[in-house]
Amino acid sequence: MTARLRGGPLVLATPAAAGLLLFFVAPLAAFGVYSFLTGALYEVKPPFTLGNYEDVFAGNLNGKLARNSLVVGLLSATVCVAAALPMAYWLRYASGRRRTVALFLIVASFLASYLVRIYAWRSILGENGVINRALEGVGVISEPLGFLLYNRFAVTIALVHIFLSYVVLVLYAALAPLQASYLEVAQDLGAGRLQRWRRVVLPLVAAPALSAFLFVFVLSASDYVTPQFLGGTNGALLGLEVQVSFIGTGDYAYGAAIAFCMLASFVVCYALIALGLRLTRLDKVRFAT
Amino acid sequence: MTADRNLHEGDTRRQFLRRAGLTTFTLGGGSVLLAACGGDDEAAVKTMTSTGPAAAPSASGRIDFLSFEAYDLPDPLKAWKAKNGVSVKPTYVGGQDEVQTKLKAVGSSAGYDIVTYNQGFKSLYRELDILEPLDEQKLPNLKHLFPYFAGDNGNFWVDADGTRTGVPFTWGLNSMIVDTRRVTKTPTSWHDLLEPEFKGRVAIVDIPTDSWGVAAHVLGFTPSQVTKQDGEQVFDLLAQIVAQSSGVSPSFGDATSKMTSGDADVCWAGWAGMNELAAAAGVTSFESVVPKEGSVSFCDAFALPKGADNVDTALAWMNESLDPKVNADAAVSLVAGVTVKGALRHLPKTLRELYAYDDLEGLLEQAPLNDNPPVESDEFVTIEEVQRGWQEIKAGARS
Repeated sequence: MTARLRGGPLVLATPAAAGLLLFFVAPLAAFGVYSFLTGALYEVKPPFTLGNYEDVFAGNLNGKLARNSLVVGLLSATVCVAAALPMAYWLRYASGRRRTVALFLIVASFLASYLVRIYAWRSILGENGVINRALEGVGVISEPLGFLLYNRFAVTIALVHIFLSYVVLVLYAALAPLQASYLEVAQDLGAGRLQRWRRVVLPLVAAPALSAFLFVFVLSASDYVTPQFLGGTNGALLGLEVQVSFIGTGDYAYGAAIAFCMLASFVVCYALIALGLRLTRLDKVRFAT
Repeated sequence: MTADRNLHEGDTRRQFLRRAGLTTFTLGGGSVLLAACGGDDEAAVKTMTSTGPAAAPSASGRIDFLSFEAYDLPDPLKAWKAKNGVSVKPTYVGGQDEVQTKLKAVGSSAGYDIVTYNQGFKSLYRELDILEPLDEQKLPNLKHLFPYFAGDNGNFWVDADGTRTGVPFTWGLNSMIVDTRRVTKTPTSWHDLLEPEFKGRVAIVDIPTDSWGVAAHVLGFTPSQVTKQDGEQVFDLLAQIVAQSSGVSPSFGDATSKMTSGDADVCWAGWAGMNELAAAAGVTSFESVVPKEGSVSFCDAFALPKGADNVDTALAWMNESLDPKVNADAAVSLVAGVTVKGALRHLPKTLRELYAYDDLEGLLEQAPLNDNPPVESDEFVTIEEVQRGWQEIKAGARS
């Protein structure tokens, strides 16, 4: 028996909508206004101006940071999705009784704090780290490899480590409704292993996979903590400039303008992905019920 | 050359304390009465404006505290808090910038009762108008201050018009930290860090005002009065130093971690407390040295922010921080210098010898306290230009 709520979906959606309005839309709108005001010392004031946005594109600092952000974001997101997809597939169809343990291990990885993971990578990639010591131990190298740490490579590795578990769970959930019988039918119809992947699995997980891609891309490209610990001079990302503008220089208007430029670029990415799904009609692919 | 070497006892400063969580540290040695420290505790209180007998106000209730972890002096003030029934609600920050950011963002409604500020930020705070004047009548222990700190030639704690806004309670030097496990010949000049042997081996902390201050001082400039033209030299030196590093560390704790793990050998504009963090990690080979060019110092002061609602207790707290024993205990817990002459007798030997107290004025001439670059100036490099330049250098975007 199902009880019907008076007002139905509207009532159910109201608390979440109110929360979003209050804690997301309103601050975002305030930031939007900030970005067009004149920056003073730790405050903003009239008149309205486009100067903050002009400043964002002036000089070569933000350009370099944006390129770093793009590269790290794309790399992290690509590696995460590419690595998570086979893991999710294995979990769903081939893990058998090991599934519970595997899922537990994936969830357990969330228990390690962000900073602990970052420092763990320091101890792995550092000049006296696990990799260098092992390679020196077996005589492969005589001097430690310095390029493993304090660059975009190290930042990307740490971010992949941090976000991979989330993506695996998202894709595992996406595959959950896909019965193994689908694949058996495809096999009976003559589809080989690759063809089953290409024509059955991938179309069905395309939308969730791209959502996960976007999730990792946005969080990686805007991260400002990991680059400080692992990035070196070529691993700094644009998020750091936002932080410095708000806390270091007290130029709220400029910081808000950078934040809005980043937001705009993420919206463009989202639009491109949505458009791609629509053009390939993958947004219409649904599990049969 | 003044060197604060081989300090392996004591505790930390700022992020180091936050990361290490070492808020207490017992030092051996016990109290030693110094002949040199007797005498004129009453010296040089010329900035005081009181006309009658001064007395600390009565303390009670809760103090809302905004500053670095351990700057709330949990152990040094433990007995005083218990005696007066004072509790503390601390809000810890990772950098001085966060103090003005929080005070400006929330305004006087924030209700903080005590903040601290680095002397370099005084001009900014004056401009932001975020501090309340302090009633010196309620700070009788100001009479204990060393003449240098009581005199305040830089108007860091007392404005030119006699208005006091700060109570200096701790200070130290931005020294060069060297790990003697790998550096056999201790550098004698800051420029030595540019030698090929230090390529990729320099640690540097993400505090632009500290790094700028040291670089400007090394090149013979006053950090707050570097002309736009001369500023390029300072930025160039900083860019060369950063190029010698594997990246800028977000905190002293992180720089120490880099050095203890063998990813760096020396630290530019470091701080003696790094030695203790390294010692806590089992590495006792750090030395803190001041090269021949000298360095710069820092001094932090308690202050009353606008909107404080437990003013008398805050003032009583500040006054207590200048009690010789409390001031010494604070120096122990912060691995820092004392601002009160009578505190020397309570310091363990290692900390007493950390700085040349018998010639404090000379030491602070060699490693002066500076103002930060100005907020606005057509002539001098401004604080915003320092921050922007530093960001470019960190990102390798400054050629």
